Amino acid sequence: MWRGLWTLVARAARGPRSPRPCTRQGSGVPVPGSGTTIFALSSGHGRCGIAVIRTSGPASGHALRSLTAPRDLPPARSACLRLLSHPRSGEPLDRALVLWFPGPQSFTGEDCAEFHVHGGPAVVSGVLQALGSVPGLRPAEAGEFTRRAFAHGKLSLTEVEGLADLIHAETEAQRRQALRQLDGELGHLCHGWAGTLTKALAHVEAYIDFGEDDNLEEGVLEQGGSCKGWGHLVSQPPEAPSLPPLCSLPSTANSEVRELQLALGAHLRDARRGQRLRSGAHVVVAGPPNAGKSSLVNLLSRKPVSIVSPEPGTTRDVLETPVDLAGFPALLSDTAGLREGAGPVEQEGVRRARERLEQADLILAVLDASDLASPSSRNFLDTVVAPAGAGSPNGNSQRLLLVLNKSDLLPPGGPDPSPNLRPHLLLSCLTGEGLDGLLEALRKELAEVCGDPSTGPPLLTRARHQHHLQGCLDALGHYTQTKDLALAAEALRLARGHLARITGGGGTEEILDIIFRDFCVGK
Amino acid sequence: MFSLRNCGLWVAASLTKKRLTLARFSGDSAAPLATKFDVIVIGGGHAGTEAAAAAARCGSRTLLLTHRVDTIGQMSCNPSFGGIGKGHLMREVDALDGLCSRICDQSGVHYKVLNRRKGPAVWGLRAQIDRKLYKQNMQKEILNTPLLTVQEGAVEDLILTEPEPEYTGKCRVSGVVLADGSTVHAESVVLTTGTFLRGVIVIGLEMHPAGRLGDQPSIGLAHTLEKLGFVVGRLKTGTPPRIAKESINFSILNKQTPDNPSIPFSFISETVWIKPEDQLPCYLTHTNPKVDEIVLENLHLNSHIKETTRGPRYCPSIESKVLRFPNRLHQVWLEPEGMDSDLIYPQGLSVTLPAELQEKMITCIKGLEKAKMIQPGYGVQYDYLDPRQITPSLETHLVQRLFFAGQINGTTGYEEAAAQGVIAGINASLRVKRKPPFVVSRTEGYIGVLIDDLTTLGTNEPYRMFTSRAEFRLSLRPDNADSRLTFRGYKEVGCVSQQRYERASWMKSSLEEGISVLKSIEFSSSKWKKLIPEASISIGKSLPLRALDVLKYEEVDMKLLATAVPAPLKKYITCRELAERLKIEDWGC
Repeated sequence: MWRGLWTLVARAARGPRSPRPCTRQGSGVPVPGSGTTIFALSSGHGRCGIAVIRTSGPASGHALRSLTAPRDLPPARSACLRLLSHPRSGEPLDRALVLWFPGPQSFTGEDCAEFHVHGGPAVVSGVLQALGSVPGLRPAEAGEFTRRAFAHGKLSLTEVEGLADLIHAETEAQRRQALRQLDGELGHLCHGWAGTLTKALAHVEAYIDFGEDDNLEEGVLEQGGSCKGWGHLVSQPPEAPSLPPLCSLPSTANSEVRELQLALGAHLRDARRGQRLRSGAHVVVAGPPNAGKSSLVNLLSRKPVSIVSPEPGTTRDVLETPVDLAGFPALLSDTAGLREGAGPVEQEGVRRARERLEQADLILAVLDASDLASPSSRNFLDTVVAPAGAGSPNGNSQRLLLVLNKSDLLPPGGPDPSPNLRPHLLLSCLTGEGLDGLLEALRKELAEVCGDPSTGPPLLTRARHQHHLQGCLDALGHYTQTKDLALAAEALRLARGHLARITGGGGTEEILDIIFRDFCVGK
Repeated sequence: MFSLRNCGLWVAASLTKKRLTLARFSGDSAAPLATKFDVIVIGGGHAGTEAAAAAARCGSRTLLLTHRVDTIGQMSCNPSFGGIGKGHLMREVDALDGLCSRICDQSGVHYKVLNRRKGPAVWGLRAQIDRKLYKQNMQKEILNTPLLTVQEGAVEDLILTEPEPEYTGKCRVSGVVLADGSTVHAESVVLTTGTFLRGVIVIGLEMHPAGRLGDQPSIGLAHTLEKLGFVVGRLKTGTPPRIAKESINFSILNKQTPDNPSIPFSFISETVWIKPEDQLPCYLTHTNPKVDEIVLENLHLNSHIKETTRGPRYCPSIESKVLRFPNRLHQVWLEPEGMDSDLIYPQGLSVTLPAELQEKMITCIKGLEKAKMIQPGYGVQYDYLDPRQITPSLETHLVQRLFFAGQINGTTGYEEAAAQGVIAGINASLRVKRKPPFVVSRTEGYIGVLIDDLTTLGTNEPYRMFTSRAEFRLSLRPDNADSRLTFRGYKEVGCVSQQRYERASWMKSSLEEGISVLKSIEFSSSKWKKLIPEASISIGKSLPLRALDVLKYEEVDMKLLATAVPAPLKKYITCRELAERLKIEDWGC
């Protein structure tokens, strides 16, 4: 029991479980994550013939052998054709080129393996899942390959200088991806679980820190959550309470953990609960009402996705359509025109539109070229276009293309662009003029979005979710088995750390806030 | 140098009553009265004494400046030391050869380890301490510390000079100005002024400027710090009334007895000074709806509660408890103040109502019906400096060679103060010697967690240590503080005595030896089951089990093992601490 938990500790200690890294003052801190083996799809997730999946870490050789069994490791640094099959089921996955890079002569300095597989999503997903089932392997965190390369001295000084930016950009991309995924049922579930777990942990921590020294009584962990004070006794004779309920506790950690275990177990077993995921860059069309957003969506998708009318506020919900934009798979979303003061249904549409903007890989901002001075246009330029365009080089800003529609309404001399208008494209959805220019601009932007491997296909994000949910469940198992309360609390901390990788949060203060809200602690 | 510790001249007892303003007491009988020191420590509380002693242990000529020598080592709030998290800090202070753990082993009247059933990582060493004895023993220790001089005087100002260009900071401190205008120079200065910076005492609607009941606050120093540009905040804390012992009806209350045997705080104490049967009990009683009534009816007479100044969430006054958690009973521990003290400290009854209402409130509590209040409870409001203005070595960013420790950094508690005191004293001394600072990381100790939290996150309520603040709680245990810090303190700093170093080394090698012996003993599982029937060993296993594997069973300890296999193991249970540590530590495979 002890040993099992310690392995768990060692495994989870690799990541920033607490928001504040503990390496700040330390010297001789071990290389982060050394010991574990990571895998990720290293090529972009655009349409491609070949996808490259890479592993790094001591178990790379084992992983390579597991997927190519019964064959041995190929010679170092030379490409070999192998049949990949699932290590558990033996089901064939793909015929692929594999490469074996024993450390330290590899990109990261650790043992690395590369799988060059066919680019179809089913193949990629199959190989990723197969790798995830090899013991000791887990999906890579943002920037982790680069970080390992840096830690092993594989990057030069100039490359190191770009490291922070790179990790930041990759993290940002993953954040947007995660945000999209969490926008559904799974997100609600995860947040709910995280809340339950945080509360259970807070109660265990309270019991440890204040159970004896201060005023908490036993029962935080077990027994029915009797939250009776003695309010009802006030009117009765004071000798009535023989054994007074002391600061009684609103809930019980153990029963909450058991419920959580059941819920997580059921979720992990039930394949249908998997998030409905769509591949492709998320392109969101936004703008003030009646700028011609829906016309643009219909033009780009070459089919009547949205109803178009001269009446502002026609589109009220978010309409999604998968399209092929300039050769890249994209999910095109038409949104309600952004304006205040409309009816409740339209306001909800506006809220959803803003939410969708948050999650966009690329925003197509559409304005009426003949109506740039109107309040709604100005407002849109200030609140959406300007922040996205602020263009800080650290990758914090979103990609945005500014499209001025209805160029056919302009006088022949061109528009009277406001002096501070950022670079824009002129387009007429009516005549089709300017469409080629727009497609070319889209091609450039999407090439960059899809070429960034870290955004990862949703499949990889799903693999990560599953990995952390399983980790959470494993840790909860240790909680229920352990009698030593400090070890049990450690298991809960690990479990919560895993959920925090999906939902964020998880600092000590969050725990303390719950403790002091729920309990009257004090001498 | 450490053999000199007891050779000094102890003069405090004869002089303390005379109220000399500039009396000087030196542990170094041969030292002439100097006007220049290596380190000056301002304040003789729990941070100040540790800082001064630590700097002296590091070999710096040190001056401790205090308002009154006879308040050195005063426990101005609760009559207890330690607890969960706080006990951890004390073990770490002790591992660096600090004072408070050893003094507590000589001054306690009720020793009890908390959380015994919750796992060794969260055991909380705690004791009720005799205030008078603690003060006496602490003064004896301080006044006999070689290289340490003690002087009475109020510090009004700091002497500032040009900064050293190779360090950050806009100026450098080079001494202090006392209230009588005289100056004392030093290479570094440690400020441990507790609640004395613009301290105000509140009882009901009355407010008096004071650092502690009966002591003047420091106003001039607060001005100086503000002028230098330090960001100042304000905090509040409180203390309960004191009750006459003979007026309490203990016979109807729950009695809590101390542990037998008592576990000492210090790694170098074999045992505590007093036998368990001679120790004093504590008693438990509870508040009731009448207490709530009195509090709620008199909120308008209570300016401390109305203020917006932040008080702690975890050590609230009875007023805050009633307001935030209405309709509940709250515990009140009745704790002895000392062996021959007539006072009882009602832990949990911190209150700032007008005195006559406090007395009325007390007498409606069970067991206290006829209680006589000797001293009313009161609130204290005081300035603290945002601790994000100091480095992990506790030196200020603004003023070179100026160190802060204790409540001035926004903490609460004797143990938190002592922990900072040791680190500030060590670093003030290292700074004089131009050596790199001594920093404890979060992974190494609660001291590291405390200082890292303060210096990076700051605090807006009095900061108290909890084990939940430590990410590496399973390895930062009270039992292994010496292996984490004593060797570093000895080798990097020189603040650890030879005796302690040798004790820690002996423990380390005994543990290693014990582990290899435990690994070498191998029997089949059925033989183990026969030897130790208490253990839940499943006999189906074909592989032989080592004694180390058997020790991992929860119900097995070294005593059981040594009974089963006496030949090589008997010697490891002669030392309680050794046997316990062999059981607790995770020795891997």
